[in-house]
Amino acid sequence: MTRHSPSPTVSGTPDSRRRHRAMSYNWLGGGLSWVWLFIVMLPIYWIVITSFKTQDNYFFTNPLVPSSDLTFENYKTVIENDFVRYFFNSVVVTLGAVLPAVLISFMAAYAIVRGSASRLLRGMNWIFLMGLAIPLQAVIIPVYLIIIRLKMYDTLAAIILPSIAFAIPLSVLVLSNFIRDVPKELFESMRMDGASEWGTMWRLAFPLTRPALVTVLIYNALGIWNGFLLPLVLTQSPEQRTIPLALTAFQGQFGVNIPAIAASVTLTTLPIVLLYAIGRRQLLSGLTAGFGK
Amino acid sequence: MTTIAPPVVRTKEPTRSSGGRSGSVVWMALPAFLWFIAFGIVPLLGVLWLSFTTWNGIGEIVPSGLDSWKATLQDPKLPHAIWVTFVIMALSWAVQTPMSILIGVFIAARKRYREFLAVLFFIPLLLSSAAIAITYKSLLDPSFGLGSGLGIEALNQDWLGNSTLAMATLIFIVSWQFIPFHSLIYQGAVRQIPTSMYEAAQIDGAGRWKQFWSITLPQLKYTIITSSTLMVVGSLTFFDLIYVLTAGGPGDATRALALLMYQQGFQANLMGPASAIAVILVLVGLGLSLLLRRLGGRSDDSQLEGA
Amino acid sequence: MTNNPMSRRNFMGLAAGAAGAAALAACGSDGPSDTTGGGTSNGGGSGGGASYWSLSGPPGEPVRKAAIKRFNDANPDAKITETYFQNDAYKQKIKTSLGANQGPTMIWGWGGGGLKEYVNSNLVEDLTDWFGQNAAVKDKILPSSFGAATVNGKIYAMPIETVQPIVLFYNKKVFDKVGVQPPKSWGEIMALVPKFNDQKIAPFSLAGQSRWTNMMWLEFLLDRTAGSEVFDRVFAGEKDAWSDPAVLDMLTKIQDLVKANGFQKGFSSTTADSNADQALLYTGKAAMMLHGSWSYGIQTANGGNFVKDGGLGWMNFPPVEGGKGDPSNTVGNPGQYLSISSKATDAAKETAKKFFSTTLVDDQEKEGWVKSGGVPVLKNSESLFTGGDAQFLKDMAGIANGAKVFAQSWDQALSPTAAETLLDNIAKLFQLQVSPQQWVDSMNGVIGK
Repeated sequence: MTRHSPSPTVSGTPDSRRRHRAMSYNWLGGGLSWVWLFIVMLPIYWIVITSFKTQDNYFFTNPLVPSSDLTFENYKTVIENDFVRYFFNSVVVTLGAVLPAVLISFMAAYAIVRGSASRLLRGMNWIFLMGLAIPLQAVIIPVYLIIIRLKMYDTLAAIILPSIAFAIPLSVLVLSNFIRDVPKELFESMRMDGASEWGTMWRLAFPLTRPALVTVLIYNALGIWNGFLLPLVLTQSPEQRTIPLALTAFQGQFGVNIPAIAASVTLTTLPIVLLYAIGRRQLLSGLTAGFGK
Repeated sequence: MTTIAPPVVRTKEPTRSSGGRSGSVVWMALPAFLWFIAFGIVPLLGVLWLSFTTWNGIGEIVPSGLDSWKATLQDPKLPHAIWVTFVIMALSWAVQTPMSILIGVFIAARKRYREFLAVLFFIPLLLSSAAIAITYKSLLDPSFGLGSGLGIEALNQDWLGNSTLAMATLIFIVSWQFIPFHSLIYQGAVRQIPTSMYEAAQIDGAGRWKQFWSITLPQLKYTIITSSTLMVVGSLTFFDLIYVLTAGGPGDATRALALLMYQQGFQANLMGPASAIAVILVLVGLGLSLLLRRLGGRSDDSQLEGA
Repeated sequence: MTNNPMSRRNFMGLAAGAAGAAALAACGSDGPSDTTGGGTSNGGGSGGGASYWSLSGPPGEPVRKAAIKRFNDANPDAKITETYFQNDAYKQKIKTSLGANQGPTMIWGWGGGGLKEYVNSNLVEDLTDWFGQNAAVKDKILPSSFGAATVNGKIYAMPIETVQPIVLFYNKKVFDKVGVQPPKSWGEIMALVPKFNDQKIAPFSLAGQSRWTNMMWLEFLLDRTAGSEVFDRVFAGEKDAWSDPAVLDMLTKIQDLVKANGFQKGFSSTTADSNADQALLYTGKAAMMLHGSWSYGIQTANGGNFVKDGGLGWMNFPPVEGGKGDPSNTVGNPGQYLSISSKATDAAKETAKKFFSTTLVDDQEKEGWVKSGGVPVLKNSESLFTGGDAQFLKDMAGIANGAKVFAQSWDQALSPTAAETLLDNIAKLFQLQVSPQQWVDSMNGVIGK
């Protein structure tokens, strides 16, 4: 039964559909949403059309009208500049950081919820909460020194290790909120069946927490995928470059070729748009459970 | 790095079921805890130590007691940066919160096109701050930007060159980047409000407006606190965006604390004072998130301790 | 513009944030494990090999690579290993590695304030005696390039690559349309301003958001009104050096130009990193622009037929009526610089010096930089200027050679701390947020810092 229990979120329950039936149209919210949609999409539209312009007609064309002769030249240049390697590095770093981070955060969250009587665990939770307030830029210097001591400078692992650490606080928070929503009767019945905490964690809590796991997975992946500071500081050679860093190299090479930058931004963003499209449903229910009341 | 930060723990009764078996679960938290100590807390202590030294980034690190702190606290740039940080924080909160709630309520309705809206709304969150800043710089160019694209002369303003406009532009872009995210949080929260409450209100003849004020808003209380904490603490760490967009300019009009820290440390080679500013940043962030948590109500405190 | 040295000020700063953070390594005995290019402390190849770090990207990187290859082919026993970095990244990496004792044998740089920092930290070799013994080498290089390589009267770097003076560009087509002549003095500039404004053409294009672009105006105006001595006193750290009446006069002139709408509408939002300022000129929306000589290449590449059809004109900044400055003086990048790390092994130092005295001053080097579209720091390159760009290159070489004083850009000459304050205050000046007197007062506050 555990595996098939409904997710703790209420979203999707049939009765929530009824609410809006008898209501008049929400003009304020509706108007605002459409206007905001326009505002949100305009820059995105600009990035996409600009990526198909050539640098020498960029300033001669209307910025909001697609160029009459589309060019794929920018994409070609970007891809030819070792984009595939950087892309691969980014994938390695992102997965390499996000998977362990979410996994150990999940374990910690489980422990924090189940062991709430333990002073030690409460102390740990407090430290995680404090961690939420640490801006990465503030501690980058010592992180750099630690990586050098570990002789890991200029490796992908150098980016992965601190990335994991900085993904932990938020992940623990969201996941523990979610696990707390699991009805305690379920834990109880697992215990009756003689399951260990370890078994309960994986067989009961893990499947039930899936939406939240996906949420923190995607959320952290976004941050790490776009992460610039750690790769810049902790790596050096072109072989270890990730995409955001490579973007600056493109920028260097093209100087100020705005269309080429637009193309690399599009290429960089496309994979996460896809990821988002796939994980969206769970992301939303996870957000609901993790952040919403 | 994305700079969205800390949500608050929301209130809920602590789970009591775990009883006396906590000893057997403590070790499960250790991997995450130790990892975080190694790469989160230890570096933080390192920064604290550096704030009591003098270092130009190339030469020797020389312990110098309170010199860096004195220099930092006496520097007129500090109060100004704190003020700018505060303005960014307050304004971006004031703009984002009502808009996010309104949009969140709207897209919470289960209509297909509104779900579609929700998908599109998420896109800004996928872009890196640097990419966003470059895009807006191009769009706001007074000669080749939005204004000339749409043929509207009024849009050709000195958006980034006038102190007031630059701040307004920054707030707008921050909102552009994050309103969608907060709208989604509110969307989820609104969907969890029991329908029965609205039904009862309708029977009493309450209109939409009244329902919003008497049911929706109070029910969103904890979400508002969570979302506000994200906004407020997150705004402390805005850095990439400001750096690329205005570099703190014009003059020092948008030079917030995080940027001041960067400029002191990495442009002016004053690592000691930069570390002092970093410590101030962490303290302010911690203070704010604790404060907001307290605003969340009594039960939050026990939650904080007792989770 | 990629690799032109000036683009270090390309604040586009994707590299932004962090760029700096790398700076820090310095403490501790182990530096970054040097995977790329043989750091000085751990050797760098057998038999006196040396390492060399520089900027990546065209047009410079191919020329640099060619030089290293020539040298290595000729010296199989003492090769140079090369590593290239993107501009912003380089500035941080070089600091980081020098602090951690893992720097390269040869340190590429922009001279001036940055070099002074190295000197103060004893990181670079004093080359004064070496240039004394190798007068033939010194003779091949434009004398004006040595200023920014000199700290406290001693030479700490070899000028290399290209000179890049700042010049006044103008759109000849726009001048014809309005029916006016290029200005020959400050008075004529001010007289032209309303004429262009009447025709809805911006008199000057200025990328005010990038700040260093504004600074070029101050540099030239101060030089033309008072000569180079005033800034020299600032550079020397003399107390209240900005209080010279000429400075007030210069600042007032700038604000007069701003008040007369001398720059395009909203100029403080125009950025140099997108090249929008240059686009204003070649699209005819602006009549004139003060910019570095590298702008020529950008306008050629992006401006359609503008440059090819002879639309682009250029001149040295005109004199100011009654000014004391020599009108031949110029400002800009008098060269790029290569220093030798004091931490390098003796063998590596020898290799570097050999590189300096042979490859870096040979004819192929000269030719390479000319082909890349620049004016070499090496003398007698005029004969190499051919093709459509010959006239421009000749004129630039003429300005560089003829300049009594080739001043380095202020922000590069000053310390990083002072430069930041300078750029801040310049932005405020152009926005009319501070009066000339307030400007002087706050700049006096950071003299010598």
